Amino acid sequence: MFGQLLVAGIVHGLIIGLAALAVTLVFGVARFPNAAAGDTMTVGAYAGLAAHRASGSLLLAGGAAVAAAGLVSLLGYLLVFRPLARRPVAALLVAAIGLAFVIRAVLGVIFGHQQHVFQVPLTWPIEVMGIRIPPMDITLAAVAACALAAAFGVLHLTSIGRQMRAVADDPDLARVCGIRPLRVMVALWLLAGAAAGVAGLMLGVKTVVAPEMGWEGLLTAFAAAILGGIGSPAGAVVAGLLLGVAQEISTPIVGFTYKIALAFAVMLAVLLVRPRGLFGRVEGLR
Amino acid sequence: MEAYFVAIAIIGAIYVLLALGLTVQYGLTGLVNFGHVGFFAIGAYASALISMQGVPLVLSFACAAAIAALAAWPIGLVALRLRDDYFAVVTLGFSETVRLTITSEKWLTNGVQGIPGVPRAFAGLGVGMPGALATLGAIALVCALAALMLRRIAASPFGRVIEAIRDNEDALRALGKDPARFKIQVLALGAALAGVAGAFYAHYITYLSPDQFIPLVTFYVWMAMIMGGVGRVSGAVVGALLLMLFLEGTRFLRDLAPDLISAVDMASVRLGAVGLALILFTLFRPQGLVGDYTRR
Repeated sequence: MFGQLLVAGIVHGLIIGLAALAVTLVFGVARFPNAAAGDTMTVGAYAGLAAHRASGSLLLAGGAAVAAAGLVSLLGYLLVFRPLARRPVAALLVAAIGLAFVIRAVLGVIFGHQQHVFQVPLTWPIEVMGIRIPPMDITLAAVAACALAAAFGVLHLTSIGRQMRAVADDPDLARVCGIRPLRVMVALWLLAGAAAGVAGLMLGVKTVVAPEMGWEGLLTAFAAAILGGIGSPAGAVVAGLLLGVAQEISTPIVGFTYKIALAFAVMLAVLLVRPRGLFGRVEGLR
Repeated sequence: MEAYFVAIAIIGAIYVLLALGLTVQYGLTGLVNFGHVGFFAIGAYASALISMQGVPLVLSFACAAAIAALAAWPIGLVALRLRDDYFAVVTLGFSETVRLTITSEKWLTNGVQGIPGVPRAFAGLGVGMPGALATLGAIALVCALAALMLRRIAASPFGRVIEAIRDNEDALRALGKDPARFKIQVLALGAALAGVAGAFYAHYITYLSPDQFIPLVTFYVWMAMIMGGVGRVSGAVVGALLLMLFLEGTRFLRDLAPDLISAVDMASVRLGAVGLALILFTLFRPQGLVGDYTRR
């Protein structure tokens, strides 16, 4: 029973980790919690669903999810967040909520409000040491691992990734060093959108695709980003895994509906006791 | 037809109260409260449950205000340590946690089935017009008192301190004032107004369920405040009226042409319109329609 929940928690945690990665990247560089991240996930799920229905290939679905969510994320930056860059953070927060509503409304009108499921073939679970693992979980875990590897590859091995981290560290210093902010921001929002898209696709395959799915996962993603330390991609993933496992293991005890409340409690505890999270840098203010 | 206008006026007045609460918190003090609906829900359930024990409504309304204000106290303690952006996330989480608790704790709230048969306000006057008019009179009176109180607060030394918290907290600290106490008081005051609004809602609609308290309600109030003009009492009133016009207008449109658009699609269109209004007003008219034009 415990092992079973652990496996479910790890897959769930990878989804949270990817979503938290999207949140933390934006929070670390653009300096505000992007409430539209959840609905960007939903975009990924629907794009993946459409591609999967058309082609039957999960790989193509992944490509469509990454492309659509990345594009929506970038458009959100160019049309909404970029013009607001010099305004108080409250303006960005309200605009992000507005963007989240617009995305959800458009998806609701195009795809309707009924729940969709991915038509994936049913297979027998594999038994490892008495724990039954569905092959789909292994596939999803592999997809998440590849996505994370790609994201960290971009962040740490490429020039634009180094520039991103430089801007996250100190935007003014980065500018003085000749880093062009616009290019970095475009890459950042594309990367964040892509991570959210993969998370949404995975969530859709694992559960159901519905217009509210991303918004409902948003608080958990925020909690993981804060637990991991804002601006720390590795922290976001580790915190996502921890939260995912904690949520699955606590479900038999506290019930299904309190999953999100658990995330909220963790978030509060971290903010009060250790505001820089597990891996965050010390910042003057929170 | 008169009954319809009275119904709209009552709901509109409830939004005025909610918007006034948010105006103290965000408009005057700059606290980004994304969980307003949580206090609204606490007030509604508190007053409904207490009055169903046979307690007179006057007392249950007072309890609703007190309990909502009390719920704001721990949030205030957290707020002291957090920046705007974190505070927004925490309050959003708070309101969702309130909703989840209402959904889960069936022994108290009857879960998703909801509480039917909440005592109607002014039940002695009957179900029809006289009762509704009396309710409208009562809530209009409360709105007027709240608006008057806000004006007095904005002009008082207390008002100058909380506006200073909004404009430059560090400068205020340097002057030897402690923002902490003021923030908690402001949060409690706004929450109490939301709690009273919730009590009016409970005893007017007479049925409560958790899905009436989704975050969208919070952002209806934000939209009202931003459209009307942030930080002004008149802005909260104008904004709430515009909001009612929008909510009823979209419903009216669908009634006119029911074949054109389905009910669920209309819900999406409404959501999208709220989102678009939030984005466009923040982008192009942050001071709202009747807001302070001398300041951005």
